[in-house]
Amino acid sequence: VTGRTRAARRQALLLLAPTLVALTALTVYPGCWVVWLSLQHRVPIFGVARFAGLDNFAFLAVDPRFWSAARTTAAFTALSVALELLLGVAVALALARQERGRRLGLSLLLLAWAMPSVVTAKLYEWLYHPTAGLINVLLGAHAINWLGDPRLALPAVILADVWRSMPFVALLCYARLRTIPAELYEAAQVDGAGRLATLGRVTLPLLGRIVLLALLFRTLDALRAFDIMFVLTGGGPAGTTETLTVYAYRSLFQMLQLGFGSAISVVVFALVMGAAWAYLRLLRPRAVVA
Amino acid sequence: VRRLLLVLWVAVLSGCGGSALERGPVTLVFKYARILGPADPVPELLREFEAAHPNVRVRGEALPWTSDEQHQFYVINLEGRSPGFDVMMLDVIWVPEFARAGWLLDLTPGLHPGELAPYFPSTVEAATDHGRVWALPWNMNVGLLYYRADLLGKYGLAPPETFDELARQVVRIRAGERDPALDGYLWQAKQYEGLVVNVLEAFWANGTRLLADDGTLFPEPGRAAEALGFLRGLIASGVSPAWTPAADEELSRRAFGDGRAVFLRNWPYAMDLFQARDSPVRGRVGIAPLPGFAGGPRGAGSTGGAHLGVSRRSRHPELAVDLARFLTSERAQKAIALGAALSPTREVLYHDPGLVRSRPELPALHALMRAGRSRPVTPYYLLLSSTVQPEFSAVLVGLKAPARAIGDARLRLSHFLDALR
Repeated sequence: VTGRTRAARRQALLLLAPTLVALTALTVYPGCWVVWLSLQHRVPIFGVARFAGLDNFAFLAVDPRFWSAARTTAAFTALSVALELLLGVAVALALARQERGRRLGLSLLLLAWAMPSVVTAKLYEWLYHPTAGLINVLLGAHAINWLGDPRLALPAVILADVWRSMPFVALLCYARLRTIPAELYEAAQVDGAGRLATLGRVTLPLLGRIVLLALLFRTLDALRAFDIMFVLTGGGPAGTTETLTVYAYRSLFQMLQLGFGSAISVVVFALVMGAAWAYLRLLRPRAVVA
Repeated sequence: VRRLLLVLWVAVLSGCGGSALERGPVTLVFKYARILGPADPVPELLREFEAAHPNVRVRGEALPWTSDEQHQFYVINLEGRSPGFDVMMLDVIWVPEFARAGWLLDLTPGLHPGELAPYFPSTVEAATDHGRVWALPWNMNVGLLYYRADLLGKYGLAPPETFDELARQVVRIRAGERDPALDGYLWQAKQYEGLVVNVLEAFWANGTRLLADDGTLFPEPGRAAEALGFLRGLIASGVSPAWTPAADEELSRRAFGDGRAVFLRNWPYAMDLFQARDSPVRGRVGIAPLPGFAGGPRGAGSTGGAHLGVSRRSRHPELAVDLARFLTSERAQKAIALGAALSPTREVLYHDPGLVRSRPELPALHALMRAGRSRPVTPYYLLLSSTVQPEFSAVLVGLKAPARAIGDARLRLSHFLDALR
């Protein structure tokens, strides 16, 4: 190794140092601490603090509330992300073709996305209000029991999340659509491709990677979703909208089961890491040229 | 949220808050939830305390809005040994928990004989753990029945004393009014603390409890199941609307306030709103005790409210106790009751002429407060509550039979309570 590369390497380390220190302090250290907590029985109100090994995880394995929360998390993630991608791509395509009102459309999309999710949840709480809510007022005699029916509560929560998060996907895809050179479409036209063929053979394949990226971001967010169900339903009725993060929150900050709650957090962490790893493999650059 | 949590843990662990001892004026920090209404009377009271204590500054700091967030704030700061505040407003159900965790100063040694006598006994009981007093009662709440006096009068009915009577009155009034938008009896069954409160009131009406004195959960499971089954029946039969399992205080208050229901179970705060100038039900609402069951004890409302405790980490414990004492004094409570829709914890104020003039409902409220009952006074109340919430909710939406829900709740609780102690 020459002196020059060694110096360059040292400089690189020096430049990375602040990031590494910050990441260690803010993520790695607390992360390890949570893992350590998850291996303990720790209940401050009883003065209990002792090593528990895998007890907490063993209880989770037979805990029906945990499995219900896991199922809810899976259903919420799958449905909300799928809807957000479908609608997001559709809206992006519509916007890209639209000349008039495009700026207005973009601003409206940004508005929904920029709203904190607690505010979105409050907004939907009023929209879903059984007697005074806009939705039920419009439905008139066919008013729907949105948040009080165990079969409808999760779809209602998903709808609110889709409304908030779809713009993120739409804006990402729209930005990608703008960068597709016009020559490609001209070439397609010359080759005699119709509208559908152009969409299927040119536009969608070129959108593929950005959609995958949006899928990654949205999945990770959806797996950790908390605010929207916490405000809208508190996890009810009958626990049908309780996700793993809501369960972790309740265990940590209400039941004060710090060890047990940390065990749930560790599971969420593992899920998020697993999903991220899988997607990053899919996203790995391949020999395909965009 | 997980990341936020981690960041918070770090903040806690790195021991925020310096240890530099200040010279000169002493500063006390009072944590409380801002009081809604035209004027928050607390800042003025704090200035008054300062005037009486030269060299002491009091800073009132706002707590987060929701009770859940307030609890989280305290847990993080107190478990992290932060000395950032001296006097704190506590939801009454947290007092034994915080006391047991060692976060509160024991107020017992400094109490004068008879000092607690003017308070409602139930508020003092709720602040007592192991015979020691850990907080002073500040304001109080009780569950009660609102009824549409105009509708009941039209059909020649008196406020119902039993639930059967209530159900019959609902059927009769709705048949007479022929208004499909008019609901019967509104109460709170969203999956949250309010649901537990409503179920407890039904338990008491049916002569049973959630937690016996010896720590037994559901000491009479049969009676508890009966009460749960009855509540489910209210929804199934249409006496209460199908959306009851999504209703919290505000949602149900709003529907009743729009004139869309005959009866409502809620806290005293709603009266002010029903009597507001632009309220559709202004002058048409009465209050009564909650109904009981035929042949059972009289219905009792659950009590709630806020207490003031002193942090064990306070650097000026004596001054902090003085401040808590001042804020819970008769004078201060009167000022608060005049400026906000909060009800005092001192019985004498319910017949104070100056106060009754602006709050005419107080004398009637006095009897309801006296008859009110505390939720289980135990350090693990929140564990109890958040364990039974989904079970009760499952019964009320018809997903689980009452007996099974009770069995499941017992099983879970025994894991957390027995295995870990």
